[in-house]
Order: sequence, then C-alpha cells, then structure tokens
Amino acid sequence: MTPPLPPGSPPPSSPPPPPAAPSPAAEAEKRASFEREALIHLDSLYRVALRLTGNPAEADDLVQETMLKAYRAWHQFEKGTNAKGWLLTILRHAFINEYRRRTRHPETVDIDAIEPFSVFEEIQDDDPQGTFFDRIVDDEVLRAIDALPEQFRETVVLSDVEGMSYEEIARILEVPVGTVKSRLFRARRLLQQKLYEYAVGMGYIKGNAT
Amino acid sequence: MNCRECKEHLYEYLDRELTPAVAEEIRQHIAECPPCGENFDFEKVFLTFVRARCRAHGASPDLRRRILDELLDE
Repeated sequence: MTPPLPPGSPPPSSPPPPPAAPSPAAEAEKRASFEREALIHLDSLYRVALRLTGNPAEADDLVQETMLKAYRAWHQFEKGTNAKGWLLTILRHAFINEYRRRTRHPETVDIDAIEPFSVFEEIQDDDPQGTFFDRIVDDEVLRAIDALPEQFRETVVLSDVEGMSYEEIARILEVPVGTVKSRLFRARRLLQQKLYEYAVGMGYIKGNAT
Repeated sequence: MNCRECKEHLYEYLDRELTPAVAEEIRQHIAECPPCGENFDFEKVFLTFVRARCRAHGASPDLRRRILDELLDE
C-alpha cells in the first residue's frame, strides 16, 4: 500500500514499470512441472491437513493455501528432490502460524510423562495375532489418532499414514532423528492402548479386568 | 542380541531404518525366539492396520478444482 503523501509534496512520478512478466511458454512450463511434481501429492497433503486441523473445511483451506504458497515459491524448490517433504513443511508452517490457534487449543499435555503401554503383553495369551484390530472401523482409528497429543499425532501421521522415513520426518518437524524415533515409539504405543481399550469396551476382546 | 535389545529396535526394524548388519542380528534373534517373533508380528499387524484404515481419505475433487483454478489465475 502507498503511504499518503505529506501535503505540499510534488505529484508522484509515474509508477515504476512492472517486473518483466514471464513468457507464456515459461508460465505454462512452470504450471506443468508443478502439476506433475506437486499436485500428485494432494491426497497426502489433505490427509495430513485433516489430522492437524481436525476439520474437513479447515483442511481444504489449509491445503489450498499450501499449494498457492508452494506455487509462488516453486522456483525455490530443488528439482529432483522430495517434493512431498517440501510441501508438507510449507503446510505445517502455515498450520502453526495461521490455523493452530483457531482450530485447536494449545497443548497442555506433557508427552514425556506418558508411560508406554504394551498391548501385546496384555493380549499375548488371548489374541497374540491382534485379530481384534480387524473389527475396528476406519472412523474409530481416525478418532483415536485425533485424540493423540499433537506432537505424537503429526509424527504418527507422517510415518504410518504417509510412509515417510525418520530422516524426512525429522526435516519436516525440525527435530533430531532421535526425537522422531522416541515420539514414534510412544505415539504408537499410546494409539494401540486407545484402540485396545476401545476394543475391550466394545467387547471385541476380553480385557484383563483386575 | 538379547530380547530387551531386540525390542528396543522393534519399530526401527519394521520401519526399515536399521543398518543391514543390525537388521540381520534382529532377524536371527526373532527366528530363534518365538515370544519376540510373536511380538514383532503383532506390531507389524498393527502398523499395517493403521495404514490401511487411514489411506482411504483423500482430497475431494472440488478441492482439486479449486486449486487448479487458482493456479490459472496466478
């Protein structure tokens, strides 16, 4: 925005010429490469956005904003490297800066205080193959993931839903690989525990009621 | 490798994040130790299950269209 001129200033000179517009051919090539390398990750971005925001409309907006930012910064993307990781980093920053405050309350959970629980030890005599998982439907699993503390939730989603490596997750979350490892361990155990308790509650499996 | 060490590397093994040498030690241990073998199988079932339950949901056609339209305007 142009600041108002102080009274008595000379009239502004003609505005500077706009920066040279890229040729239509270059613009078409940019679009084509963006569609080829970035848009193919749309489903992944949406899944992560949905788990971060917990709301489909917010997830749509977050993904749309991410894609627009990515398109504008496309010249910064190192061609041939991992576009999915690059896009998810943009998405996560947008989420932290603009959405988190609106969509979820700031976290008050001390994730270090959560004791890992071994479901396998509970069920190894009754159902060591974990067949009770088969009876748990999609929505229940998503609900259980959504109930995880945010740092666990994002780690589990990147790893177990999106299949990213520890190294890639560490880069996106900006934490050391060792942190990814320990969060993943505790996040998975907590998720298992929630699903196990749900299955016991539904009578899918006999709990060790004491 | 003993059971405790083996279990410490459980997820790294299933996530294929170990060096080939350590992964081989684990493979040998779980082949010879049925309780650890069962535990690893259980965790593998769990990870496969989580992935299968979460992959179905993707972006809507409407979102894809919105993004393509927006890029055209850029």
